[in-house]
Amino acid sequence: MNILEIINLTKQYGDFTAVDDISLSVATGEIFGFLGPNGAGKTTTIKMMAGLLKPDGGRVVINGNDLAADPLTCKQETAYIPDRPWLYEKLTGQEYLQFIGSLYGLAEDEFVRESESCLALFDLMTWRNHLIEGYSHGMRQKLIMTSMLMLKTPLVVVDEPMVGLDPKSARIVKELFKNRAAAGSTIFLSTHSLEIAEELCDRIGIISDGRLLTVGDMATLRQAGGSDGSDLEEIFLELTGAWELKEIIRSLRAER
Amino acid sequence: MRGTLLKPFRQGLSNRFLINRRARWRTFGVILFGCVVAVAIYLVSVRVIGYFHSQNELGIILSLKIFEMAWMIIFAMLVFSSMVSGVSALFLSRDNEILFAAPVPPEHLYFMRYVTTSMYTTWMMVVFSLPVFGAYGRVFGAGFAYWPLMCLSVFSMAAMASGFGLGATVLLVNLFPARRIRDIVAYLSLLGGILLYLFIRLMRPEELVDPDRFPDFIGYLSSLSSPAMPLLPAGWVSNLLTAYLQDRQIDWLLTALICLTPLVVFFLGEMIMKRWFFKGFSRAQESFGGERTFAAPPYHRSRLRWFLHKETKLFLRDSAEWSQLFMIGALILVYLYNFKVLPLDRAPMPTAYLANLIGYANIGLAGFLVVSLCARFVFPSISMEKEAFDLLRAAPLSLRRYFFYKYIFYLIPFTLFTLILLLASNHLLKIEGPLQWISLITGLLITWSVVGTALGFGARYADFKMENRAAALGGFGAIIFLFTALSVTLVIIFLGSFPAYRLVRHWLAGEGVSVIDWWLTGGALAVMATMSFAVPVVCIRRGIDRLRT
Repeated sequence: MNILEIINLTKQYGDFTAVDDISLSVATGEIFGFLGPNGAGKTTTIKMMAGLLKPDGGRVVINGNDLAADPLTCKQETAYIPDRPWLYEKLTGQEYLQFIGSLYGLAEDEFVRESESCLALFDLMTWRNHLIEGYSHGMRQKLIMTSMLMLKTPLVVVDEPMVGLDPKSARIVKELFKNRAAAGSTIFLSTHSLEIAEELCDRIGIISDGRLLTVGDMATLRQAGGSDGSDLEEIFLELTGAWELKEIIRSLRAER
Repeated sequence: MRGTLLKPFRQGLSNRFLINRRARWRTFGVILFGCVVAVAIYLVSVRVIGYFHSQNELGIILSLKIFEMAWMIIFAMLVFSSMVSGVSALFLSRDNEILFAAPVPPEHLYFMRYVTTSMYTTWMMVVFSLPVFGAYGRVFGAGFAYWPLMCLSVFSMAAMASGFGLGATVLLVNLFPARRIRDIVAYLSLLGGILLYLFIRLMRPEELVDPDRFPDFIGYLSSLSSPAMPLLPAGWVSNLLTAYLQDRQIDWLLTALICLTPLVVFFLGEMIMKRWFFKGFSRAQESFGGERTFAAPPYHRSRLRWFLHKETKLFLRDSAEWSQLFMIGALILVYLYNFKVLPLDRAPMPTAYLANLIGYANIGLAGFLVVSLCARFVFPSISMEKEAFDLLRAAPLSLRRYFFYKYIFYLIPFTLFTLILLLASNHLLKIEGPLQWISLITGLLITWSVVGTALGFGARYADFKMENRAAALGGFGAIIFLFTALSVTLVIIFLGSFPAYRLVRHWLAGEGVSVIDWWLTGGALAVMATMSFAVPVVCIRRGIDRLRT
């Protein structure tokens, strides 16, 4: 069963089309990677999926509910982790988690169990009663992940999950995503990191200039890239038309 | 270099008011509205000053004393607001990391901060004080030289106040023992509030209208006509203009002081910046505040409870916010003190009539205070969610409910504030009878309406990248909100005035309430309530629409 259906999604900023008629489906329990160069439309698409941006055309259906028609039900089932960890500076980590838990109506016992488990995983237990303004960028990112992962929603939408994380935390996040997917949650993540996409994702969608170029597992992508033995980086460069990079790299090397 | 540093400010202003080098319609609208307000201030000022001027010699001296007080208060306010803005502009601005890491000399940075902070903190004073001081020129029939002298005085005082404020800020940040720099803002606010209060108290303006308090009339006259504080810049400009208004004489020494002091203060500020800025800036970054812990209460599922908890903690833990409470405290004290010392028994009309008249006007005054506090606290509250607002929008919380929670949070303190102001001032005025209820109902309607309107405008003009609440006050949205809320307040006061007059008049005459009065009162109340409800609802709906896109 598909938990997420994106149907002909379009978004324009004035004359500029940021997302151009994208359609895709993501199945329950799947880890789906959304890849694309800077400015390709990844964050815009994700913001529309999280109900932060109003699409100019098309629909987002989450667990059978249309996001535009029934936004609250859809949001109840979606955890959104933004790429930049903007939080309330004057709250403590614990208070922030309590606030988010109450927004999603998390039960008391579930809150204690899940929040403490995630805080412990991310080494944040000793910091939970400190003000967020004293947290580093990575700690903020881990707190925001804790706040969303403790909700145990059927769909987790993550924009650039590893930005600012140390290698240990990045490893934990990858394992957590795999566990959640194995338990039936769906992870939709956008990333620049081809390594993460290749390692984590069951399927990958590549977006460029607002258009979805291809969707599929690695084998499908290799076919689409026209090179059976190539890795994701080569496929990515091939599909996004970034072969002029080779020329640039060659000329840079020639300068050494 | 100095010009380059100002480029973002210039281009930001240009982008704000112009599209492709052509003015936006709303820019014309704001200018037109500002002109209308300035003309209204001018006409009211001409009338009030003209009234004093037409009385006798005492009236002329009294109007000049008010002139002097106005300069003093404006100067004190400008220095204080420059200091508060200076901490944010000099030490907490986000662009500091880029600019100070670049090969930019501190004195050039000071120039840029001086120009931008002066513009932000003084433009409103300049625009709206010119009509008041212009009115003096008209009433006193001042000669040609008054107008350039007046403009010079206004601009020079704005420049001097900014210079003093910024220079003092750089020094204070180095000297202050507080680790966390934002606390300095709190202490400055506190200091400013207390200074303002003491200043007004020490002036004892109520005694100026009471010759009996002086042992003899000559003493009274000499007290009134003594020149303003000669060591303060506000005293210089006041004395310069007063001398010209009375005797058409220009004091060239004062003129020179007014011309040269801004330059001296500016260059002193540059020297201070060069010598002490880096130490203060470095200290500001060291104080990350990570050492304190706060125990959270046990988790509970209630959204409203956690929303109110979040809002309360964000307010109380931010010293820049809670310190304003001292200002409000001082404001209430000064406000109520004025009612205590009103010489009602000396008035030519019966005390009870006058007390009721002032009591009714007091609803408007309280309303104006509520409007200004809403502009400071409620209007920026949506923007102050900053980028974390995305998390709220992604949560299963409708915007209507979000506004409801916000409204509840601000409604309680503002209702208490209005009740304290009105009940205490009515008590001091010894008001009994219908006006007691009229003032409470009207005052609360205004307050509830203004709080909602502020939220609506705050959403419509939300800027989630705003650095602090004070920054919102100079924005387009805040100005439109102020004008709208003040207009609503005036209309509500106007609507209730006739029925209130009839009810109070009958009550004072010991007569019962007639059927016509019941109908009039009921009708006015219905219109007032409808307006108080409709304006914020429309504003909040438009705000929600804006946030959805």
